[in-house]
Amino acid sequence: MAKLTIDGKEIEVPDGTRLFDACTEARGRPLPHFCYHPDLPVAGVCRLCQVEIEGMPKLAIACNTIVRDGMVVHTMNERVNKANQQVLELHLINHPVDCPICDQAGECGLQDQYMEFGLYDSKVEQSDKGHKAKVKVIGPQVILDQERCVLCSRCVRFCREVTKTGELGIYDRGDRAHVDVAPGVELDNLYSLNTVDLCPVGALTSRDFRFQKRVWMLKSTEGICPGCATGCNIRIDHHGGRIFRLKPRYNPEVNGRWMCDRGRMTYKVVHDEKRLDSPLKKSGGQLAPLQWSELEGELSGMLKPGGVSLVIGSSHLALEELFLLKQLGLQVAGEDQIIGGLAESDQKDGDDLLLSSDRTPNRAGLALVGLEEMKADLLADRIKEARGTILIHGGNPAADPLLAEVLANCQHVVYIGTHVNETAQLAAYALPGASWAEKAGTFVNQDGRLQQFQSAVVCPGSAREDWRVLAEMLVLAGGEESPGNLDTLRKRVSSELFNGQEFDLNTLSALGVVPSGLAEPADPVAGGEG
Amino acid sequence: MSFEGLPKGSCAKKTSFRDSIYFWEIVRGLGVTIGHLVYNIFHTSEMPTLQYPEEKKIYSDRFRGRHRLMKREDGSPRCVACQMCATVCPADCINIDAAEHPDSEIEKFPETFVIDLLRCVYCGLCEEACPCDAIRLDTGIYEIAADSRDKFVVDKEFLLNDREHGSY
Amino acid sequence: MMLFLDTLSKIGFMFVLIMGMVVVLIWMERKGAAFIQDRTGPNRASIAGIRLAGLVHPVADVFKLLFKEDIQPANRHRALYNIAPWLVMAVALSTYAVIPFGDYISIAGRKVSLVAADLNVGLLYILAVASLGTYGVIMAGWASNNKFTFLGGVRATAQMISYEINMGLALIGLVLVFSSQATPEHLREFLGADFLSGLRLTHLVAGQGDLLWGFLPKWGVVVQPLGFLLFITAVFAETNRNPFDLPEGESEIVAGYHLEYSSMKFALFFMAEYAHMVIGAALVATFYFGGYQVPWLPRPVLEAHAGSLLTIKLIGVVIISMIFSLLFFRRAQREKGKFGDARDREPGLGGALWLIVALGALGGLVLKPWGIGADGASLFASLIQVGAFVVKLVFFAWLFIWVRWTLPRFRYDQLMALGWKVMLPLGLANLVVTAVVLAMV
Repeated sequence: MAKLTIDGKEIEVPDGTRLFDACTEARGRPLPHFCYHPDLPVAGVCRLCQVEIEGMPKLAIACNTIVRDGMVVHTMNERVNKANQQVLELHLINHPVDCPICDQAGECGLQDQYMEFGLYDSKVEQSDKGHKAKVKVIGPQVILDQERCVLCSRCVRFCREVTKTGELGIYDRGDRAHVDVAPGVELDNLYSLNTVDLCPVGALTSRDFRFQKRVWMLKSTEGICPGCATGCNIRIDHHGGRIFRLKPRYNPEVNGRWMCDRGRMTYKVVHDEKRLDSPLKKSGGQLAPLQWSELEGELSGMLKPGGVSLVIGSSHLALEELFLLKQLGLQVAGEDQIIGGLAESDQKDGDDLLLSSDRTPNRAGLALVGLEEMKADLLADRIKEARGTILIHGGNPAADPLLAEVLANCQHVVYIGTHVNETAQLAAYALPGASWAEKAGTFVNQDGRLQQFQSAVVCPGSAREDWRVLAEMLVLAGGEESPGNLDTLRKRVSSELFNGQEFDLNTLSALGVVPSGLAEPADPVAGGEG
Repeated sequence: MSFEGLPKGSCAKKTSFRDSIYFWEIVRGLGVTIGHLVYNIFHTSEMPTLQYPEEKKIYSDRFRGRHRLMKREDGSPRCVACQMCATVCPADCINIDAAEHPDSEIEKFPETFVIDLLRCVYCGLCEEACPCDAIRLDTGIYEIAADSRDKFVVDKEFLLNDREHGSY
Repeated sequence: MMLFLDTLSKIGFMFVLIMGMVVVLIWMERKGAAFIQDRTGPNRASIAGIRLAGLVHPVADVFKLLFKEDIQPANRHRALYNIAPWLVMAVALSTYAVIPFGDYISIAGRKVSLVAADLNVGLLYILAVASLGTYGVIMAGWASNNKFTFLGGVRATAQMISYEINMGLALIGLVLVFSSQATPEHLREFLGADFLSGLRLTHLVAGQGDLLWGFLPKWGVVVQPLGFLLFITAVFAETNRNPFDLPEGESEIVAGYHLEYSSMKFALFFMAEYAHMVIGAALVATFYFGGYQVPWLPRPVLEAHAGSLLTIKLIGVVIISMIFSLLFFRRAQREKGKFGDARDREPGLGGALWLIVALGALGGLVLKPWGIGADGASLFASLIQVGAFVVKLVFFAWLFIWVRWTLPRFRYDQLMALGWKVMLPLGLANLVVTAVVLAMV
């Protein structure tokens, strides 16, 4: 352990800690910086985190200094502030100051630091500034503006050290130095948008988010990426009922500070044109909308014990919904007639960083509730055997040609889903549910970690949260009374699934929890460490 | 009600008998009003009434009228869709959709620029916030009228046109 | 049959007079208010570019209200809601039945009294019928099913009950004065009575033709000055006019009892208010200002000097209308091309109109009016009396408007305090003093 004094405050940190981290701890906020990033190797190029260390003649950069016992450090005296201001002024010499058109404005390191300790009058005329390439498309997801770049090299280090693809580099020297891709190379890896997050200025911006919204207008909601079984923690940025982008949320146990580009695009399904936005009934081969209130009478035949011959769930549903679906299945169909879903659906190649080969978010949740999945051929047999109503909730089993064929022969399929997909087309009734961003719930990731997400936007049209639909059906079928709200439902789930444990879904930690003894101990995913 | 114990002058002055019977004061009041009436009948031209559609009040140069969008030399809007005005607008009446400009020097431009003149409170914060001097409220137009609500939602083309153009 | 035709034509005359007055009063109200407040007032509506100084506006308003949609609240009491405006209007109109607008007119040797219904309890009839108006107001207030209309109705009721007492008390003094009086000589035959009855309005007015002490017209206001003040205050309250217009106090209860009415039903309330004003003015004129009596010129004098009076009158008309005509023509010249449209023709047309009047009067002079016969003299006297009544009516109607734009509205407690604590004791005192004086004389 090393004892040191920072700004008159004594702290003790383990040996080998970087002075930067020690200062962050002592000050409660980080030192000004561009190039330092806890998950990347130190470069020490931005020179903004200079501090005065007593006994050293010159200022030292905190990020590349290891703490030593007895160090006395000043981070806020006049000498340091002046140095910071001058370094910032150097950074901004050729900066175009095109904040009005820059997507980074509002969350820009240059803006924040200028407002914090810059506030000088520029000595460079706008017309004297040097020019470099602007609006340069360097990959399918990323666009580059070299003028705005402060050459912190975070993106370069990310591509070298984390994705190990090395597309980006700094070319030329002196004031001609610029970040770029080599000729004929594109920044085309699955994690390229992390460079946009890393970029402290507006040099690298997302092509998907480009000009869509100013960032200060966005409201953030905590979510869990539904893209695969990894369950990356995300921040849903939305405004006016529309999601504009997804950003990774720090969770050292799951995804560190990264997430994949594929996951970032999962918000598009929420605003898909083919969303189910009102209950549909098939009449004359066409699906026609009707009201929820009319539906009660229409479905009265199935909402009674024995009214349903087969219930098929999905690993896309949240834990609470799966729990209610099972309750409903027990009430209207019987224990043998509830199937978790189609086994091995949505299986694709994964990678060794974050992307899992299982592209559904809650397959472990199915197991937790006690529902088993079935292979396509077995499921097709069960569907063929079924006489009467088949209730399908979530997923899209009819995407499988074999199941589509047998389902097409079923007269009475009731489907609760989010999109007008193949299964909805085959259904007699298609009920609109909420997509992942429109509801709150719990996903269990591939390591058995329970993680909760909040609802960010409202459902389209008359779509409703799935658990409400299920709870109402359960009441109509003569089951127990509706939980009324999500808290009550979660209490019920907690006591049923984790009986005997001190465990409540309502008070789940922000990092998620792996319930002991319910799943194998998980290896922490080495997402952030790279 | 008793006012005993209150300091002198803390309640209303006691009205005199002459005032309390109203009659003379009413007659006096009637005299005042008939005086105005008779004077005005014989001095109609001195009335301050403005015969509005024919006569119009001249406002100062600082008067904030309907907005206009400033143009570049080629006639395209000066606006770069930075949304500063939409952000600062207290009435939330400006709606801008940005798009990529073919010229990389300009880079960003407003594909749509819509102002709801019914929501606008003409505070002028948008023109203060604008970093490009692209929006101004200096047209002096205050006769803003239409026969349906959606006609008050004016678009970029409308705002770019000169004051002579359009009904308001 | 003759009686029926006579009565019908008298009712027709009164109806035309009242409805014409309503239009004129609305114009007077708007224009008078504007001039008192240093404004121009309504001056836009026009017929073929002629605006008649805003007189076209009431016409335009009538057409507007006639064609407007009749919006009714959903939970109204349908029958009462629809009856209320008609009741208010009907009550307002029926009060005129007993008001004399002249003593008689001779048609082919027949003397026809100039009052629609010469009731011997005409005064009681007026008090009875006028209070019926309250029913219309409270029906409207209650049937609209709206708290503001209801409050307006309640206010109107309380106010009218309070002030009717004062109105009646003030009138009793008047009745006492004129009941103990001999019928004037020239009317004794026509009225068929030697002594006047104070409750009969024709008698009441006939009694006011005398002179007091030989020089002062024996008008109600002269013999009952305090009674007059009490009565006119009560009339203001009865007609719901400012400063007693609390039933429609817009700052507290929006528009009061007629808040939920639109279109022609609203127009009926609106017209009824002005019709009430005309009654109020007619009552004040009849009771306290000698009705149709021309001061110092009773019927015998009028008939005796009919020739010279008519001549003087025609000459006066010629001179005055010539002056007006000249003023208009001068203005036409001065303001030539001021507007650049049809409005420029207005002063010229006004001048022409006055010129026609002057020429008409000149033409009358050519017919040698100084040699008018006995029948003509009688007719002249009758017409002069009707004219005097109309002039008094217009003046007191204007007084209503004048007061409205001078005084602020009372607070409700002030209204009640004035009615019960000031006017009621004064009314009683007035009655006692009158009775004692009459007993002593």
